[in-house]
Amino acid sequence: MSIRLESGPVVVGRAVSTGAASPSPASPETAPVIFDIKGLNVYYRDFHAVADTDLDIHRNEITALIGPSGCGKSTVLRCFNRMNDLIDGARVEGRVLYHGIDLYGPAVDAVEVRRRIGMVFQKPNPFPKSVYENIVFGPKVAGWKGNLDDLVEESLRRAALWDEVKDKLDGSALDLSGGQQQRLCIARAIATSPDVVLMDEPCSALDPIATYRIESLMRELKEQYTIVVVTHNMQQAARVSDRTAFFSVDVGEEGQRTGRLVEYDATDQVFTAPSLKETEDYITGRFG
Amino acid sequence: MTARTMGTPVTQEMIRRALEGRKVNIINPLVALLLLISLLASLAILVVLLWDVVAKSMPVWQERGWSVITNDLSPRPAETGMIQGIFGSVMLTVIVVVLSFPLGVAAAIYLEEYARDTRLTRLLVANIRNLAGVPSIVYGLLGLSVFVKLILEGMVGQVSGRTLIAGGLTLSMLVLSIMVITTQEALRAVPLAIREASFGVGATPWQTIRHHVLPVASPAIFTGSVLTLARAFGESAPLLLAGAVLSTFFAAPEGTPITDLVLGEKYTALPIIIYNWSRQPQQEYVALTAAAIVALLVILLVVNAGTILARDALERRNRM
Amino acid sequence: MTTDQRPEFHAALNSLEETTMDMADRVEKMVGMAVRSLVTSDNSLVTEVISSDDKVDELYMDIRSRWMQIMARQQPMGRDLRMMAAILELNNTLERMGDQAVNIARIARATAGLPREETILAKLVEMGDLVKPMIRTSIDCFVRRDADECLLLPAMDVPVDVLNRGMWKHVVECGHDQPLLEWATRMVLVSRALERVGDQAVDIGEQVAFLMTGDHHEFTRYTG
Repeated sequence: MSIRLESGPVVVGRAVSTGAASPSPASPETAPVIFDIKGLNVYYRDFHAVADTDLDIHRNEITALIGPSGCGKSTVLRCFNRMNDLIDGARVEGRVLYHGIDLYGPAVDAVEVRRRIGMVFQKPNPFPKSVYENIVFGPKVAGWKGNLDDLVEESLRRAALWDEVKDKLDGSALDLSGGQQQRLCIARAIATSPDVVLMDEPCSALDPIATYRIESLMRELKEQYTIVVVTHNMQQAARVSDRTAFFSVDVGEEGQRTGRLVEYDATDQVFTAPSLKETEDYITGRFG
Repeated sequence: MTARTMGTPVTQEMIRRALEGRKVNIINPLVALLLLISLLASLAILVVLLWDVVAKSMPVWQERGWSVITNDLSPRPAETGMIQGIFGSVMLTVIVVVLSFPLGVAAAIYLEEYARDTRLTRLLVANIRNLAGVPSIVYGLLGLSVFVKLILEGMVGQVSGRTLIAGGLTLSMLVLSIMVITTQEALRAVPLAIREASFGVGATPWQTIRHHVLPVASPAIFTGSVLTLARAFGESAPLLLAGAVLSTFFAAPEGTPITDLVLGEKYTALPIIIYNWSRQPQQEYVALTAAAIVALLVILLVVNAGTILARDALERRNRM
Repeated sequence: MTTDQRPEFHAALNSLEETTMDMADRVEKMVGMAVRSLVTSDNSLVTEVISSDDKVDELYMDIRSRWMQIMARQQPMGRDLRMMAAILELNNTLERMGDQAVNIARIARATAGLPREETILAKLVEMGDLVKPMIRTSIDCFVRRDADECLLLPAMDVPVDVLNRGMWKHVVECGHDQPLLEWATRMVLVSRALERVGDQAVDIGEQVAFLMTGDHHEFTRYTG
């Protein structure tokens, strides 16, 4: 028994034109909330990975999750599309409301969730198939009826990859460069017309030029999608995001490491004048 | 820094000496030499073995030609042949393929892709690994008591349950656990990233396995399976128990339908023929045994070579 | 072929520079109006200078906060980093120039009823006429990235310094007349303010040189 989550008419509302001058959040006050997370706790068997996290993700914004290793930022990200289900012994407590519906509700089908909430991973992981097949797989398994050629072109154009691969659609995706592979993975993620695109350190395996391309792609994509990005790279969070959530890790007496959300605010605020000393210590390199 | 604080400036000569290391390094070439000797030793054993059987079998090939292969078994060494054994072995292998390949692959897929990592699953996996280590003669006993006696003679009511199907079932049991293990290894070698990518775009577990995991794992599954089958092909001990006939006098009448051959008739297999001929006192059987061994080796060699070629072709396709 | 991989950042940087140039234009006008208000004793000019300065202060704060955002979020490097450093310096300099203009305008208002000495007034107007082109030149050099023409600025500053130093002599000559002396003493402050504005224009020139070459150095001042 599964229900299809209706994504409803997507109002692409850039609430405020920020202008070229300041990359400030698209109106932190008014952007509608897509994810409403309350009291999130994640366990891997006996290991308490994330504790008591509340977080709102706003539509058509880029939200960055930053923090030191083991702070649970990737774990939290993987709750947004139930990727944690794939890990044996993972347990999620608390509410992850997506458009008001609990993603962990008993009737919700994780497969349907992932069709609406796409994901891009740390290492570019195209299928070992052709560029074309990489794009069409998701829509095909979702029962998409329509012109696949058009869909491939549209997805690749949005991912700013079309011009580079239009002559090698039947060539192996593995022959592309790392940056192109990652953009292919982004194209693959948006081919299923998701509402949200989750990115788990999407640039950590890329060189600076490829990184800038992905970042500017992210800014284009947020016009249409909501993006949540986990990054080790604070500067990347600063460059690209509208809001930043800073996670930290508590080490227990027996060495258990539990992540928790420390501060969540507009990126401008977090990186120029965070309200908590813990955040400030982290972004200024005074930690450990 | 330490050198400088101690008052001895670091010269280029010092750095050169440090970088160039000891002039004579005895350990590395020595280890390489030892390893090479081990390799050559094992190769030498193989060559001697091959040389021995080929040389011993030469008179038979020269005198008899193909008739050693194509003739039925006969009490007269000058007329006997191994076609029934080859037929039996091929049929056994077909039965093993049909039974154990789908069953083994399916079981492995379940264990790797579906089963939660519970204590029960771990117990199952440990048991399968143990089964793979059980001596083949034990499977022969199982085949004799379950397939031959209990099912075919007891439940089906055959006069003699010592048929191809009994032998095939027995060999299937023998290789099933190995098939499961090799398939599990093959599936485990598929990068998690591919699964994540597939789940990430909203594929179901089966779609993920069908479209991404199996295609990537198939060369390894294929190779593992064929090597496993090769083992079944050369196995003799379980067949001795599970009903393959030793008799050199046996021959199914010309024109017996294949279903009867599999389900009803007595049968033999190539390893059994080798075993049997090797025990004959007559001088002629020495060469005959060698010829049968050569035939077995050639068949295995051809199958293995075919497997490698087919695997390469699969991998080329997978590169896409 | 080079493609800009960080268009948003560069757009933000350009916009920041434009705002700084807008501020410079206002400051240049303010200095002119302030000197004119001395001559005409026109209170509306004084008011305009003061309200312009409110706008300049606003731009100053705006530039500072945008500057912070860009620094924190974009991590400028190389030419971009030098531009950021120069903009911060220009922002401070221009804001202080604006304050000097306000000082002059306030003095004009305070001295409106007092008797005036035309020689002094003529010298101040001359200083104003020398300083305004200096501001123009420094800003034009900045816009054009002209590291050569800005080297003229120290030379342009020489007559301003000379006039400023000569001012005392004229004031002392007013010693016989109490109200005139009061006026003349205030005019020393005006002279001093204009001299400062001249120096600040030279500072802007130094920033242009830094922007283009990456070398920090003060222009040689002609001490006369």
